[in-house]
Amino acid sequence: MADKITDQELRYLHYNKPMRLLFSIANFFTSLPKKLLNLIFAIGRAFKSLGLAIANECIDIVTTFINGDWKTKLSFIIMGFGSIARGQILRGILFLLFEIVFVVYTALWGVTWIAKLTLKNLTPTTTQMVTTTVAGIDMEVETTIYGDNTLQILIYGVLSILFVFCFIYTWRLNVRQNKEAEAILASGKKLKSGKDDLKSLVDDQFHKTVLALPVLGIVIFTVIPILLMIMIAFTNYDFNHTPPVNMFEWVGWTNFNQLFTWGNGTSTFSATFGELLSWTLIWAFFATFTNYFLGMLVAMMINKKGIKLKKLWRGILVLTIAIPQFISLLYVSKMFSDEGLVNRFLINNGVVSTAIPFWTDPTMARVMVILVNIWVGVPYLMLITTGVLMNIPSDLYESARIDGANPVQQYFKITLPYMFFVTGPYLLTSFTGNMNNFNVIYLLTGGAPYTLSDSAGKTDLLITWLYRLTVTNNDYKTAAVIGIMVFVVVAVISLIVYNVLPSMKNEEDFQ
Amino acid sequence: MATVKLTNVKKVYDKNVVAVQDFNLDIADQEFVVFVGPSGCGKSTTLRMIAGLEDISEGTVEIDGVVVNDLEPRDRDIAMVFQNYALYPHLTVFENIAFPLRLKKVNNDVVYEKVTQVADILDITDYLMRKPRALSGGQRQRVAIGRAMVRDAKVLLMDEPLSNLDAKLRNQMRAEIILLRKRINSTFIYVTHDQTEAMTLGDRIVIMKDGFIQQVGTPEEVFDMPVNLFVAGFIGAPQMNFYKTELVREGDDYYVTPFGTKMKVSDKKAEGLRERGVESQSIVLGVRPEHITQGTPGAEDSFTATIVVNEMMGSEFHLHTKCPDEDESECIVRIPTLKLDHEQRAALAAGNEINIAFGGEAMHLFDPATERNLLADYGSSEEPAGEYDYSDVSSEEPYPEDIING
Amino acid sequence: MKKASSIHRNRILSNTAIYIILVVMSIVWLIPFVFILLQSFRTENTWMVGYVIPQQWGIDNYINLFTQTSFLQWYKNTLIIAGCNAVLQTFMVTMMAYALSRLRFKGRKFLMNAMLVLGMFPGFLTMIILYYILKSMGLTQEGAVPGLILVNFASSGMGYYVFKGFLDTIPKSLDEAARVDGATRFQVMRKIILPLSKPIMIYTILTAFMAPWADYIFASYIAFGTSSGYNVAVGLYSWLTKDMINSNYTLFCAGGVCIAIPITILFMCLQKYYVEGVTGGAVKG
Repeated sequence: MADKITDQELRYLHYNKPMRLLFSIANFFTSLPKKLLNLIFAIGRAFKSLGLAIANECIDIVTTFINGDWKTKLSFIIMGFGSIARGQILRGILFLLFEIVFVVYTALWGVTWIAKLTLKNLTPTTTQMVTTTVAGIDMEVETTIYGDNTLQILIYGVLSILFVFCFIYTWRLNVRQNKEAEAILASGKKLKSGKDDLKSLVDDQFHKTVLALPVLGIVIFTVIPILLMIMIAFTNYDFNHTPPVNMFEWVGWTNFNQLFTWGNGTSTFSATFGELLSWTLIWAFFATFTNYFLGMLVAMMINKKGIKLKKLWRGILVLTIAIPQFISLLYVSKMFSDEGLVNRFLINNGVVSTAIPFWTDPTMARVMVILVNIWVGVPYLMLITTGVLMNIPSDLYESARIDGANPVQQYFKITLPYMFFVTGPYLLTSFTGNMNNFNVIYLLTGGAPYTLSDSAGKTDLLITWLYRLTVTNNDYKTAAVIGIMVFVVVAVISLIVYNVLPSMKNEEDFQ
Repeated sequence: MATVKLTNVKKVYDKNVVAVQDFNLDIADQEFVVFVGPSGCGKSTTLRMIAGLEDISEGTVEIDGVVVNDLEPRDRDIAMVFQNYALYPHLTVFENIAFPLRLKKVNNDVVYEKVTQVADILDITDYLMRKPRALSGGQRQRVAIGRAMVRDAKVLLMDEPLSNLDAKLRNQMRAEIILLRKRINSTFIYVTHDQTEAMTLGDRIVIMKDGFIQQVGTPEEVFDMPVNLFVAGFIGAPQMNFYKTELVREGDDYYVTPFGTKMKVSDKKAEGLRERGVESQSIVLGVRPEHITQGTPGAEDSFTATIVVNEMMGSEFHLHTKCPDEDESECIVRIPTLKLDHEQRAALAAGNEINIAFGGEAMHLFDPATERNLLADYGSSEEPAGEYDYSDVSSEEPYPEDIING
Repeated sequence: MKKASSIHRNRILSNTAIYIILVVMSIVWLIPFVFILLQSFRTENTWMVGYVIPQQWGIDNYINLFTQTSFLQWYKNTLIIAGCNAVLQTFMVTMMAYALSRLRFKGRKFLMNAMLVLGMFPGFLTMIILYYILKSMGLTQEGAVPGLILVNFASSGMGYYVFKGFLDTIPKSLDEAARVDGATRFQVMRKIILPLSKPIMIYTILTAFMAPWADYIFASYIAFGTSSGYNVAVGLYSWLTKDMINSNYTLFCAGGVCIAIPITILFMCLQKYYVEGVTGGAVKG
């Protein structure tokens, strides 16, 4: 049964439009403290349940040891022993193998790597004169003797720590398996054999089979690198401290402090960051919504009753999607450059006397970038919106027409709300995607004109700046900090939108 | 071929939502059992637990004496027909029906033999080469049934198989399922929300509400002796009329007193009440619309009601009438039209008055507190409804008015 | 009668306006490509000029492209990468999407949330680390091609959204029916769901195949300075740098045409699937 309508809701229904809007805004802000409080409580609860879970695990481990038989007890030291002793040879051997590999690795290398993670008291790289014999003649040759490579230490150290966590988890699994095996045997049932285990991998454990490779790939090539980059944000890894010749070390929050110290003038790092962040947001906003509305407009024009050759118009636009972006973007970039086709044509014909600074004037460059992005993006959005527009039930329009709505009203009362509802999630991903839209900016302007500090340009997005800091400046620590900040911005925007948009919440609604 | 036994079966979903509770049922070999109840009563969940598509939270399900709780669906030797048919869109009708056999790697000749045989029975031989999308709803339903038949499974499960069909096809398929049932030796378990289907198909009906079994019995039993208000209201259409009133004992006789009348309870029912030592008390009186008779005006055992709506159903009138009490309770009356002349029909128009009497045999007497039938047998081992805790579930709603009636 | 004709006239007017807009739009959208095509046949000089129609026509640029430059090598590199991408990425995406859409297991929600959060980190934040990892495996510079393939496909499971959106529309009861009919979960996937996923599979293959042709960022970083490890994007970009552009501009145009034509043909053939995938993906989020 539905909840009863509240007095507040009834009052809302009585309001006229501006009042309703005010009411909604007021509602949003009055509910904000409550939401924040809920968030804090939720975080608190999460920590509490995490603590409880760990405590429960510990208790369970101890009781398993106390109540277990000798096979179980021995398994606490020799992993997989219980499984082997109870006939689950395959599982047992896998456990044992893992333990052996872990012990050998940790003893020989792991401990050293982890110990070196402090990045202190390391052997520096030196040059020495070494006597070598070349063709029977002794020669003094300057040779570099490499010391510790801090990047290598960071990578291997982190991997070693992760390996330890892995081991603890597997060990816990091993203990639980023993407990479960005992319980199953006690109830008179049979344990799964190795063959059953393999069989279940195509059936009730099928998700493990399917996910193994994709998840492993993501962990190795995304999760661990991100983890390492976050750590690099806390070091002074840049062109002055590049391994293997030089070493970097931990510097704590120094790199982040840079972001929040507003020094004098506009040439500081924090000012540049602020400028680029605001441009990134402006860019993402325009790039997303100009494309969205123009794409929708084009789709509606082509879809309009009575327009012929629909396929041709659509086909022409779709054609432009097929051509790799880097060709079209590079070409357009050169077309409008100072010596490019357009400027030469205009100068040759005496329309202008000096080249129009399409890419060198900051404001013009920014406008151009957005315009070219429309050219790139509209066909794509036309496709998407065509699909959605066609899915709007026609009886909605029919009933609206009978109720007396003109085409403009139909658009604002039916088309637009429906589109927003259905494409809400897409708009969000498209917005965050545009914030990280490397290709358009990099291939068009490369970030130029470079009038800001720290080699940043006026059309640079945070992401292109990050790229240039990494590739050109080798300023890895700053790149890492910017990457983290981009993440924070994207996460905050997503969180807000997720909480506001109704169509974001229910994944299962579509099933 | 197989018995099915459910013992203390319980289903709890992750968020502590209890879908099925205390489900005990013995299904005999080749029996046709129907689970019926309003949506969300747990009937489909129970069926899916038998199929192995849902985990069983507590209790056991046995097929042929073997506990199947931990078995995958394919190891249970069951077949199932789904509400939306669940035909494989990319396979032809032939391959759809052959699918279970192909998985068992049955010899090609045998597959051909069996599929054509099944198609012949179901009269879909002409469509064997088609894809499901080229079939009508009824034909798809047949294919789905064919796919379930071809396996000779021990148990045939059907989850609302007819609810996507239009009314006419539904009646036709219902008859065909009855015929089909005679040709195969499987045990049938059939889920529906439609009490008509339940009554016509089932050897036994299991009526469920809120995850609990309310009553198990043959169609006659649940119709004649509903154990509680819910079952009384759920079985039969239009729904049974209920009135809060008094039961009065005068010596060996019992009377009920709705709307200031005094109607005598039949001798047979009175005997049952005497055996149970029932004294005068408040009751809920239930009378089915088809059991209401027209009384003599002014008689002590009848009352006058005003006709509000007269629905002409063809063979009968459904009269919605307003009873003479302060709540203006509704009384629905079914009157066959066959023997009424023109004048008599005119007399039943809306706005007229009608004299109503409840025959003594037609009365169902329920305790208002427990909602149980005063005459039903409880406590026998065959009657899981006896374990139903009435105190906390539906005491808030004394009249089952908002029951979704099939 | 009069009213009816005015409605009629309005419609003709608005339709004419729309036709004009559409024609102008088509020209604007197509013109750069026509220009590239025309300039690729220009033989009188190799730098940027202020006119479009060549004064001397010829296919010298194309001949030079294949005889004087490493274009063929780059083309081959990209083709290999694209081919491997199409196969491997589709495999990974299919697996991931299948598990998340059709299977229910502990940690499913966690996995999806984790990938959502990971996706919020900018893509090339981890460039140096990946470079280091690849370098230690010898997969940079000359080994850039396998290196790129590895990096592209390893994390590609994260792009499961569109595929999952499609799978979510297949009724769950098909899986259940198949399981009751005696199929293992693997058989459900192989015999029922994957055959039904053909359109989205083609979409995935197509997008995975097309992406490497425009992949500049990571490719240039990994192949840094070694022409034999370039893909077409890196190679052609290197021709348009300040000191190279005057001798290579028409070459660039010819190269662009050589890349665009086969891809466009492939794309137009599979357009139907692409449109389905794009529309479905946007709606399902």
